[in-house]
Amino acid sequence: MVLKINGKEHQVTADPQMPLLWVLRDLLNMTGTKYGCGVAACGACTVHVDGQPTRSCLYPVSSAEGKEIVTIEGIAGEDLSAVQKAWIDHQVPQCGYCQSGMILAVEALLHENPEPTDEDIDQKITNICRCGTYQRARAAIKTAAKYRMESLETTTDQADQS
Amino acid sequence: MKRRGFIITGGIVGGGLLVGVGGLTYMNKRIVKYSGLGMGEGESLNAFVRIAADNTVTLAISKTEMGQGVYTALPMLIAEELEVEMDQIRVVHPQPEGPYANLFMAEEKPRAIDGKLTMMQKVFAFIPNIITGGSTSVRDAYDHLRVVGAMAREMLLAAAAKRWGVSTAQCYADTGFVINRDNQEKFSYGELASEAAQQKAPKNPPLKDRSEFRLVGKAINRLDVPEKVNGSAIFGLDVRPDNLKYGVIKHPSQVGGTITSVDNKSEIEGMPGIAGVVQIEEGVVVVGETTWHARQAADRLKVQEDNPVPVDAIKTLTASLSGEPSKIWEDQGNITTVLDESEQIIEASYEVPYLAHACMEPLNCTVLVDGERAECWTGNQSSTFILNGVSEGAGIAKDNIICHTTYLGGGFGRRGETDFVLKAAKVAKEFPGVPIQLVYTREEDMRNDFYRPAVVANLKAGLGKGEVNGWKKKVATQGALAGLLGRNVPMMPMKNEDDPSSTEGLRNLPYKMTAAYTDLTTMDLPMRVGTWRSVGHSQNAFFAESFMDECAHAINRDPYELRREMLADAPRFRAVLDKLAEISNWSQPLAEGQFRGMALHESFGSIVGEVAEISLHGKNIKLERVYCVIDCGRTVNPGIIETQMQSGIVYGLTAALYGAVHVKEGKIVQNNFPNYQMVKMNTMPEIITHIMEVDEYPGGVGEPGTPPIAPALTNAIFAGSGTRIRSLPLSRHGYKFV
Ligand code: FES
Ligand code: FES
Repeated sequence: MVLKINGKEHQVTADPQMPLLWVLRDLLNMTGTKYGCGVAACGACTVHVDGQPTRSCLYPVSSAEGKEIVTIEGIAGEDLSAVQKAWIDHQVPQCGYCQSGMILAVEALLHENPEPTDEDIDQKITNICRCGTYQRARAAIKTAAKYRMESLETTTDQADQS
Repeated sequence: MKRRGFIITGGIVGGGLLVGVGGLTYMNKRIVKYSGLGMGEGESLNAFVRIAADNTVTLAISKTEMGQGVYTALPMLIAEELEVEMDQIRVVHPQPEGPYANLFMAEEKPRAIDGKLTMMQKVFAFIPNIITGGSTSVRDAYDHLRVVGAMAREMLLAAAAKRWGVSTAQCYADTGFVINRDNQEKFSYGELASEAAQQKAPKNPPLKDRSEFRLVGKAINRLDVPEKVNGSAIFGLDVRPDNLKYGVIKHPSQVGGTITSVDNKSEIEGMPGIAGVVQIEEGVVVVGETTWHARQAADRLKVQEDNPVPVDAIKTLTASLSGEPSKIWEDQGNITTVLDESEQIIEASYEVPYLAHACMEPLNCTVLVDGERAECWTGNQSSTFILNGVSEGAGIAKDNIICHTTYLGGGFGRRGETDFVLKAAKVAKEFPGVPIQLVYTREEDMRNDFYRPAVVANLKAGLGKGEVNGWKKKVATQGALAGLLGRNVPMMPMKNEDDPSSTEGLRNLPYKMTAAYTDLTTMDLPMRVGTWRSVGHSQNAFFAESFMDECAHAINRDPYELRREMLADAPRFRAVLDKLAEISNWSQPLAEGQFRGMALHESFGSIVGEVAEISLHGKNIKLERVYCVIDCGRTVNPGIIETQMQSGIVYGLTAALYGAVHVKEGKIVQNNFPNYQMVKMNTMPEIITHIMEVDEYPGGVGEPGTPPIAPALTNAIFAGSGTRIRSLPLSRHGYKFV
């Protein structure tokens, strides 16, 4: 089957039941997406499927066919995304293992809700971080929201001027 | 794959070490030789510093990065004296060789600044004791790595001075260049490296005064963050050597059991994508084309097992407390008389359950066995132990093994063990030439841990008018450290009763009392126990600091005032406590329905005080905020210290709220996050951290944040409801967290 990942097409031969996580990690060697629990409980394996945050450990690869898959490797082309920038500004990662999944979950949250409240964050970011990076992650989410707003404004400004 | 060749340099481990007679000469040589393997291009100025022509500085950092920030903090110490910028630096983890040994662990003290080693430190270098644990990284490195940087700098200065034909005093080092004071001519370190490498390492290079530090003491950015936000950081599970196959292990289903045979081996081997089934002493491993194939097949294994009769640990431990103790650990003053003569006696029994580490990255190790050689990739807390594991499992001589240490997706003490390495090596031996990545699925990881031991304690206090006269403390447990050492350093076995970790943080407390007594009763139980972030302190702070709160309430004293008074002879503790009271506004009443509790505890050379503020409605708790004050002496990177406080608090909080591993009919019940819950964003309190300015040798920061949080929280619950919590976790008492 053909999978569209980060804008590129990949030919894979896999059991249709094989979870997307293992296709990414073990067949395509895209190891940025992590295995934490295998039962959709930790969020380490979060990717986007057609823009939706998806825990890939329980998501059969056959369901991903024909959809746009985005992983941490493709979240921001050459440059860094607003979320990644904020993550660096706030020095969020510790061991780093949960961070790909956390960042993907946050990207999706901000896409849907550009100015999330603390309650929104509590509700939507249910990833487990065993290192306890939550406090800095929360601060970084707010900074990322600000960066996104600003870049939106600049884009609109430029559009106005032209 | 290359065999490790060795370079021998004197100087760094200890000046003048290369003299001696007989066995001592051999020892002295061995502790200074290193291979430099994996350090890439360039010239080694010593075992730690290699400089390439393009001015890249590669540093061998022998402590592993598991989130605690050592790949930033330790390079800062070298860079400070070497006079290079952080962005010039590349960090690699060296092979397990003498110069990289953790010598702090030898005698709980840093090596002398002139490099002279004590006999015990030489033994630790000889082993070599490469360990990341016990919150020792900065304590081992604070002086040593600055000396390492300064020695390399002096060699670069000497090389430049020689080129210019001037004295070294005419030159100075700045951001990767040596500059001639007279004419401002300069050479880059890259240009000088090979000549510098020929210079003699100076014995006592000058070190900067603290006031001149440009890096140390500043919250500069971590070197590992960029690759941890774009998915490129490589953990053990991410290594992909050519022809890799994946192994999934099934362990015996019961504690202490063994798998005796596999009923359906040929059926499993016939499944698509399966390369083989290997039975080893510790279980059965299915090897397949992907982790998923191996996992699917492992789930279908039918095995015969031999299982022991289950034991109820808490019951057994509790019963043992009424017998004779195994060892008396503290006996100051006359506790019997003090208790007899006290106006009031209070007594309380406490208990805590087994806990799993649950590192975010499930345990794994990749091994390639190829003829007489082997290669191993894994995130670990001890490459010494790793080397032993590969050597034993694969039957390969240690000099023919290369260890690649990756980032760790959490360690917390779990990755100081070698079980996962030994098993991977045994399996890889059956697949010569094929690298095998063995993984414990989350379920196998959680059910095959070396758990924080279950512990019971009985505490008795003799109280006078407004004062505490004495404490009698009795503890029963297995030995966490004895377990780890017994498995990994069999030539230095430790009896359970001699395990200092069982009573650490309970005996020799800073509080002044007329008498203090601690004894320990140990038991051999079937559960395998080991070191879990903050080890004995993880439970002993809960016992001691809850009981201090009990004493304060029994004599109608404010818990802060009573502690303060009892710390008259412990100024650093008192300063932390006072700061904590100040930043938490201890004397000001809280809003309606809100309550607070405090705890103070020393561990790993640092003192941490915490105040937990909660809202309490019946059994619904909302964690509002935690105030945290730490005295860890001189700081290297306050930003990392702050995050380690947050991290330690979340780890301890998770245990206090939910943490318990139960055994039912010999089987471990908890097997994944749904039944071994974690604190998440929605239960996370705000944490306000204050770092004290104290001009003393540094203490640890990775673990000391953990111990005080449980008692601070349960003391807050008492303040709010009069309910004293004497066993954890809170969820077992019906509390819910909102
Ligand atoms: S690995 Fe998918 S949610 Fe944990
Ligand atoms: S950073 Fe380690 S698990 Fe989140």
